[in-house]
Amino acid sequence: MYRKQVRRRRAVLALLIVTSFVLLTLTYQGSNGFQGGVSAVFSPVQSVADRALKPARDLVDWFDETFDAKGENSRLKSQLITARKEAVAAQEALQENAQLRKLVELDSNPPLVYTNYREVTGRVIARSPTVWRSSVTIDLGSGDGVRVDDPVISGAGVVGRISSVGPGSSQVMLLTDHASAVSAKVVPTGVQGVIKPEVGNPEDLILDFIDSTRKIHGGQAVVTAGWRAQGLASHFPPGLPLGEVTSASILEQEANQQVDVRPYADLRNLDIVQVLAGGSRP
Amino acid sequence: MILTPKIVARVVLIGLVGVLLQLCFFSRVELFHVSPDLLPALVVCLGLLGGSMAGAVSGFAIGLFLDCLLVEALGISSLVLLGVGYLAGLFRERFEIHSSLVPALLCMGLTLLAELGFGAVQLLLGVDAPLSVLIARDLLLKSVYAFFLGWPLYLLLRRILRPALVEEPKVTRRRQPRVLGA
Repeated sequence: MYRKQVRRRRAVLALLIVTSFVLLTLTYQGSNGFQGGVSAVFSPVQSVADRALKPARDLVDWFDETFDAKGENSRLKSQLITARKEAVAAQEALQENAQLRKLVELDSNPPLVYTNYREVTGRVIARSPTVWRSSVTIDLGSGDGVRVDDPVISGAGVVGRISSVGPGSSQVMLLTDHASAVSAKVVPTGVQGVIKPEVGNPEDLILDFIDSTRKIHGGQAVVTAGWRAQGLASHFPPGLPLGEVTSASILEQEANQQVDVRPYADLRNLDIVQVLAGGSRP
Repeated sequence: MILTPKIVARVVLIGLVGVLLQLCFFSRVELFHVSPDLLPALVVCLGLLGGSMAGAVSGFAIGLFLDCLLVEALGISSLVLLGVGYLAGLFRERFEIHSSLVPALLCMGLTLLAELGFGAVQLLLGVDAPLSVLIARDLLLKSVYAFFLGWPLYLLLRRILRPALVEEPKVTRRRQPRVLGA
């Protein structure tokens, strides 16, 4: 009797393990209709749960932010001093730019490079629990005109891109996901590279493939490069703010330098995001 | 655990609420820059209350539901959580739980194991970016949070599933009679 029970138990365990591997294989072969169905059914429930739990989340965030406030204050003060200097320099540059534009008879208000995109605003309703996958679920789906690979931004800068779309919800692969890579450039120098994450550290991105001979220093802004060549193009339009250079170090025995970038968007506390829908496809 | 349709419904509801709470609350709050992970602790508690089979099946189902909602690769969470649930259940079948600290400690240890499991599976499938040493902080703090979550969670689940639990007779120690004058 006991032996029979043990045998049955082992069989169930083996079946569950085999099923897990089969599911994993099926997913990598690209069949995820079942997932889409479950996600579609539960996205309204998630949306309601998200709103209901917001006061409790805010309370916990308040505790966490209180711990961080002291360090944040001194960092922001030093940033403010730098920003003031940059604002003065930018005003001078704008004035000079306007004069030069007049000289070459260019339109004084050039259109933004991503005006052919439609901004759709949505809320984050769920977030992945492990550090290995960095994604959020938003309450916008194909019905709102959202498509796979559409860029996603917050008020501060780029957040990520749409990785899958359901009827009423979509998944956003954040910049901090291990599979994320965005072509970027440092302004005003124009040096180009690829922004990649450092898994486990949401406050640091790495600007890779930068020639070690190019001078880059802390405080410089990094924006999307938005390249287009030979029928291929970046999913992101050019000029979207990504982050700020925190440090640049030349790796020994390598021709590239590693540039650390702090993302402008607070990728850990996302609430409202915008999807740039309807842009041109590569 | 004695499984009746009512108890199965309760376990399913516990799983649904647990996954929704994780995605809409625990994953979106941070203490010391780390979000708590409720699900391994939930599966450990179900394993401790129901045994290895109940733990494995509930871990598998909760993992599958989580992967479905996140539209991530199916099977990763199922595989890791079924292992965690099975180990918790095995502990319950082999050892007696004398102290109220045991569920909390098991939640802590098995959450660490689950996070390492997620990492191992992810590394096997390929990670296209460098790893930060802060992952270690994430793993350790998640298991510490699981200790504090596991304690009330175990008591709550025991209360909800009480009609289905097979009560083991309590081993009470008899006080030795004192001989006067000895």
